[in-house]
Amino acid sequence: MDNGATMHLAVSLFPGIADPSPGLEFSRLASFVQKAEAAGLDMVLLADSAPASGGGAANSPMPFEATTLLAALATVTSRIGLVAAASTIAHQPYNLARRFASLDIISHGRSGWNATMTQAPREAANFSRPEGFSPDDFRRRSEEHIGIVQGLWQGWDADALLFDQSGGRFHDPEKMHLLEHKGEFFSVRGPLNVARSPQDRPVLVLSGLSEADLDIAARAADVILLDDGPRDSAKARYDDIRRRVTACGRDPDAVKVLTNIAPTADSKPAAVAERLEKEFRASGCDGFTIQMPAQLSALDDFVGLVLPELRRRGLVRESYRGTTLRSHFGLAGGGDQ
Amino acid sequence: MTARQMKLGAFLWATGHHIAAWRHPKVHVTAGIDIDHYIQLARTAEAAKFDMIFCEDAAGLREANIGIASQTSRSIGFEPISLLSALAVQTSRIGLVSTASTSYNEPYGLARTFLSLDHLSGGRAGWNLVTSASPIEAANFGSTGLKPHADRYERAREFAEVVTGLWHGKASGHDGQSFSVRDPLDLPRSPQGAPVMVQAGASDVGRDLAARTADVVFTAAQTFEEAKAFYDDLKGRLAAYGREPDDIKIMPGVAPVVAETEAEAQEKYEELQELIPDDVGVALLSSYISISDLWRHPIDGPLPDLPESEGMKSRQALVIEQSRRDGLSIRQLARHFAGARGHWRIVGTAAQVADELQARFEGGAADGFNVMPSYFPGELDAFAMLVVPELQRRGLFRTEYEGRTLRDHLGLKRPV
Repeated sequence: MDNGATMHLAVSLFPGIADPSPGLEFSRLASFVQKAEAAGLDMVLLADSAPASGGGAANSPMPFEATTLLAALATVTSRIGLVAAASTIAHQPYNLARRFASLDIISHGRSGWNATMTQAPREAANFSRPEGFSPDDFRRRSEEHIGIVQGLWQGWDADALLFDQSGGRFHDPEKMHLLEHKGEFFSVRGPLNVARSPQDRPVLVLSGLSEADLDIAARAADVILLDDGPRDSAKARYDDIRRRVTACGRDPDAVKVLTNIAPTADSKPAAVAERLEKEFRASGCDGFTIQMPAQLSALDDFVGLVLPELRRRGLVRESYRGTTLRSHFGLAGGGDQ
Repeated sequence: MTARQMKLGAFLWATGHHIAAWRHPKVHVTAGIDIDHYIQLARTAEAAKFDMIFCEDAAGLREANIGIASQTSRSIGFEPISLLSALAVQTSRIGLVSTASTSYNEPYGLARTFLSLDHLSGGRAGWNLVTSASPIEAANFGSTGLKPHADRYERAREFAEVVTGLWHGKASGHDGQSFSVRDPLDLPRSPQGAPVMVQAGASDVGRDLAARTADVVFTAAQTFEEAKAFYDDLKGRLAAYGREPDDIKIMPGVAPVVAETEAEAQEKYEELQELIPDDVGVALLSSYISISDLWRHPIDGPLPDLPESEGMKSRQALVIEQSRRDGLSIRQLARHFAGARGHWRIVGTAAQVADELQARFEGGAADGFNVMPSYFPGELDAFAMLVVPELQRRGLFRTEYEGRTLRDHLGLKRPV
């Protein structure tokens, strides 16, 4: 048993120096994620490089789009959560909900969607929206988009599929629900044509939040990613988010707040562990997203040196307690927690 | 130079292509939620040296009547791009083709997603372009309903042009009627030059689009004459676009029911037909010919006269033609149609199935076939174990993959 709260740990991959061969690149990424899984980390966040700049050699992107990469990684791992970034501009809500619902079944309940509340102008320019959206329109549209996706994820009750071959009843029509959404930006009838998620619904990870997005996050998010800041303001920010979550009628523990950190190569492991413990114990967050290039050496340093130190301090669980991403985070609906 | 050989697709769909497949005692009834089942199917198809796996797609339910929908297995399943991405790293040679709509996607995102699948698979991806004819899908993407056929194809033409431009790394910057795209793709060039383009539209405007852009055409044809007429027509359109007849592979769908003996095959077919409830058969027929009140007409009477549809024009004509030709009642047509959705059915032994395929292949009516097993995994296994070796014995099908990419398998030129 852990004493007190568990520090949650994620790894965020940003495009490193890409291997010239995509085949090798996938096996390298697979090894990376398998190592993160062997270390018992909660999840790997897969960035999507669509909005990145035109692909100069110094910043060559991974050769994969994030949701397709997630599907492939799901087949070579069994416990670690896999979260892909996907933009609300690039995807219609029905298509996005469907992709992630399918990924969640492929991964047996280990998938999540990372939506960002920050608009990437380059993306709009490639998706027939050369004018982009005003910040306020983008916010309202994102909120509506996310609400549709989460609604579609709940279109089928967990016990809707009957598989009653002799009775000729494949599913119970009473347990399939239309969405009938008609909003400012979208109109979506539903239901999704993918079965209910093994973890109730995929995990929603929100990032790129400004002050004005916090209430949206409090209503919808399962996990919130925040940038690192001064420790005393981190505590105030964390308390503020929990207050907002409570105000939405949700249990404050239903939303996990992770702080992004990017350890530099020359940071001493003990110093990194010390810093994480201080921020965690000061209740500035529920855990951390370690940002690193997709290189085994970077991960080796973290799982080989920092992680044992955190475990020695009793901050991080020794191994997975469940099989779904929700269960790793202790979120409702995760099944075998 | 070896003799010309046929191309084969393994068309994977839900529990099987027969509408009542899911009720069959030997079916894998939980196919739609079991990724391991699909990995196994992909490996079976790869071991049999199929050119490709083919997935069709709709962004919505297949059937508007919820009571009818609940009696079929087609309301839930994997989204095909995520499915094929998973299969890409669990196979090494077989092509991976998914359907995706030009009506409900944007070309930049679609081009990027398929190129990613192409990289994950080492050059084995293909895109089957559809314009989506279902009002059920349309209702998931806005409140204005299904767009007219001509508008959908105009959008599709521009869509295909942008996608191929992005794949071929042409100078970026597109500002057209439906789409604007500023940047090139941020992924490396495809290992096979560009993913393979597949199309299925058989209307006049659909054929022109195929002649302009497709590498493979999937089609439905019941008789040799229909198949031959389509084949000659489409190949004849290529010259206008500066293309050679061999630049397009025409692969009609075929729904075989095969067994060791003809009697067993017939029994297997009857067993499936018996499992179709009349209301399900009629509803399925209605949706394909775009008439909502077919159930009002006497089930043992003929098809009523139909107005020309905005949906799938070519499919409607095919069904009407068959009902007149064979003098079928609505019930008979529904049962017949439910089995293979207007595609060509062959019931028999491996030798009989091979004879029929060979006749169309050598008679200049097909370059290969998209095989639509009645139920999974049994009928894919049966085709792989019985028909494929027979075709190989006759020198009509490969015994080993010629190359690594889907273009290699299909014998397609690599775009420059």
